[in-house]
Amino acid sequence: MTPARKLFSWLAPFLACVGLLAIWQVAALMLDTDSFPTALDALRAVPSILTDKESLINILDSLRRMAIGFGIGVAVSIPLGLMMGRSRAVASFFNPLLMITYPVPKAALMPIIMLWLGVGDIAKTLVIFLGVSLPVIFHSFQGAKAVEEKMLWSGAAMGLSAAQRMIRIVLPSALPEILTGCRTGLVLALITMITSEMIARQSGAGNILFNAMDMGQYDTVFAMIIIVGAMGIGFDAAFEAFRRRLVRWSEPRFDMPLSFS
Amino acid sequence: MNRRALISDILLGIVPILLVIGLWQALDSFGYAPVTLLPPPGRVFARLLQQLADSEFQQEIAATLFRLFAGFGIAVILGITLGLAAAASPAVNAVVRPIVRVLAPLPKVALYPALLLLLGFGHESKIALVTADALFPILLSTYYGASMVEQKLIWSAMAAGTPRREILFKVVLPAAMPSILTGCRIGLVISCIVVFLAEMITSTDGLGHVLVTAARTFRAVDMFVPLITISLLGLILNALLQGLRSYLLRGFPEV
Amino acid sequence: MKAVPLRQEVPAEAGRAASGAQAAAMIEIESVSQIFQTSGRQNHLALSGISLSIADGAFVSILGPSGCGKSTLLYIVGGFVSPTEGVAKVKGRVITGPGPDRGPVFQEFALFPWKNVLGNVMYGPRQQGVKHAEAEAQSRRLIEMVGLKGFENFYPKELSGGMKQRVALARTLAYHPAVLLMDEPFGALDAHTRTRLQNDLLNIWERDRKTVLFVTHSVEEAVFLSDKVVVMTRAPGRIKEIVDIDLPRPRRRAELLLDPHYQKYVVDIERMIDDTGEDGLQL
Repeated sequence: MTPARKLFSWLAPFLACVGLLAIWQVAALMLDTDSFPTALDALRAVPSILTDKESLINILDSLRRMAIGFGIGVAVSIPLGLMMGRSRAVASFFNPLLMITYPVPKAALMPIIMLWLGVGDIAKTLVIFLGVSLPVIFHSFQGAKAVEEKMLWSGAAMGLSAAQRMIRIVLPSALPEILTGCRTGLVLALITMITSEMIARQSGAGNILFNAMDMGQYDTVFAMIIIVGAMGIGFDAAFEAFRRRLVRWSEPRFDMPLSFS
Repeated sequence: MNRRALISDILLGIVPILLVIGLWQALDSFGYAPVTLLPPPGRVFARLLQQLADSEFQQEIAATLFRLFAGFGIAVILGITLGLAAAASPAVNAVVRPIVRVLAPLPKVALYPALLLLLGFGHESKIALVTADALFPILLSTYYGASMVEQKLIWSAMAAGTPRREILFKVVLPAAMPSILTGCRIGLVISCIVVFLAEMITSTDGLGHVLVTAARTFRAVDMFVPLITISLLGLILNALLQGLRSYLLRGFPEV
Repeated sequence: MKAVPLRQEVPAEAGRAASGAQAAAMIEIESVSQIFQTSGRQNHLALSGISLSIADGAFVSILGPSGCGKSTLLYIVGGFVSPTEGVAKVKGRVITGPGPDRGPVFQEFALFPWKNVLGNVMYGPRQQGVKHAEAEAQSRRLIEMVGLKGFENFYPKELSGGMKQRVALARTLAYHPAVLLMDEPFGALDAHTRTRLQNDLLNIWERDRKTVLFVTHSVEEAVFLSDKVVVMTRAPGRIKEIVDIDLPRPRRRAELLLDPHYQKYVVDIERMIDDTGEDGLQL
């Protein structure tokens, strides 16, 4: 690729952002309704949200729940997925359960979980945990299944126990696939977080959004959307960079792509 | 697959489900869970059947299905068109690719308030959200499927007299079908999820709304019913799509 | 890096010159060179200064070691690839793209997986505007001719390699190309299937004697099938020699294998290729 094209491909996402914002700006000016502020108005409202103490606490609460839900989800799901990948019995046992829960929107369980666990953090964190688990389990399962038998035989021949083989052979082999699952899980964590906060408004970013909407503060609504959008893009980009560094040795598998990367 | 393996697979699949239902019942029978919070499975399924026969509930299902199909349908048309265009034309690709890269990791549900403000609280905002969420997997899978089409297939068609402009529809589209249908399946699942969630957040009708209403009035049984309904709908629609896929891809080797 | 082009004529007596007059050249390749850009922005000279003239009705093999550009040459004649230098013509007209006058048969079969056998074979005629009923009748005859009667409703995935190649051949023949471009068509098949298909190909070719350009890396195959064998050097590919195969037709494999003329051709050409090949193990 020539230097010019390389520069373009690196710049392109930024250009795309600017382009989208420009389209927004033009559309807002053309429609000229109160409920659709221009991009510039929304951008101007962003700093005021970030400096407002209450809003900041809400946002940090959201992020905290997301981090905990994601962390526990990953910690539980990776071992489970790996075991499912290597043991037919474990897989047959959990598979149907997972297939049933796959189409159920985890955030939709919010009201039920709230009924049981009250309106606190636990309910929201639990839902995030559930949302994260499924893709991580699935990808860990796929990754573990794909490990070449011969590698494991070599390991056994070298004297590694089953547990050691799991940690020293299966885990690193499956790592690229696992990390793809984690990336999906991260996206879902953010989505589940926002959605559960929109459904059960107590605190958090989703709450801010709808409060602002109820109070007619449309600038704030759109500013919040920009903030959440930036979080989504930022987390994804950061995780992708982290993933690439970790698995530089592997080729990208042509799997169901999340994005052009 | 021989019959014995199939039967044992199904049995093996049912066992955990039966276990869950059994566990569910046990929690109630042995008093570990209060019946008001976790109604026994028998009562839930009885209520489910009762609701399914009720015309008001059927209208709620209809509203949800309408938004689901409309949103999914638009996403399919838009996604396949854009995906094919991006694979065929470097110019289109240069524009679409960075936009998708930016928008894909963005939680589209965050746009929902904007959609509500722009399109009102009725069907349109929900359909728009479903489209926004289902679009990307379909677009991406179409793009990848179309760009991976075997070159020799295209050459064979051209030698047989197919003009350049027809190659896209006569060769690329059919050859990319496996990929496209995989993307559609994901899009369908996402559509089911999103329509339900959108109705839970704000709506005046639909299955999501039914759940939220039941929550507000503390009727636990009526909360489970719409949840199970949307899951069943999802499974049925998925099965239908798989059937369509089997038919359309009957010539393709299994991947 | 320009080589001096050697103008090599493939004389007309190999073709359908019943009246004794010179048959017009079907394919003319004039000073064709092909440069590919590989990753890392390096230039790879695949073909260098190829000039070749092929008469109507000739069965010509292009033979050479891997990477000598023989497939590339075929693709240029097919119009799938544009030559970096030089020009290729068919019936006097410059080749600007693919067309039904030059039908390819690929090693990978390239059958349309979403169509069954009948659908694949009917594709060409339908593209030409032939009515459905007529196209179907034509295609069924062709399918029978290649020995696949009864398999019309099968999908490619249900066929063996040899059967798939028969379908590919039928599909190409269906739109009556003047030239058949065959790119190592039997390379992916086992030896037994390969010999059967070689015989079948010759039988089919004898019927209307199309011009055939046949790429292979098997010397025996080239000698058995062709009127002329174009021996190429390895990259950058140039024509080393053109060998006239003066063996009577129709050719029977069993007879030919014991024929000393045939054996001499094979040995001579193998020696030619050895000269152009790589050094062996330096022990």
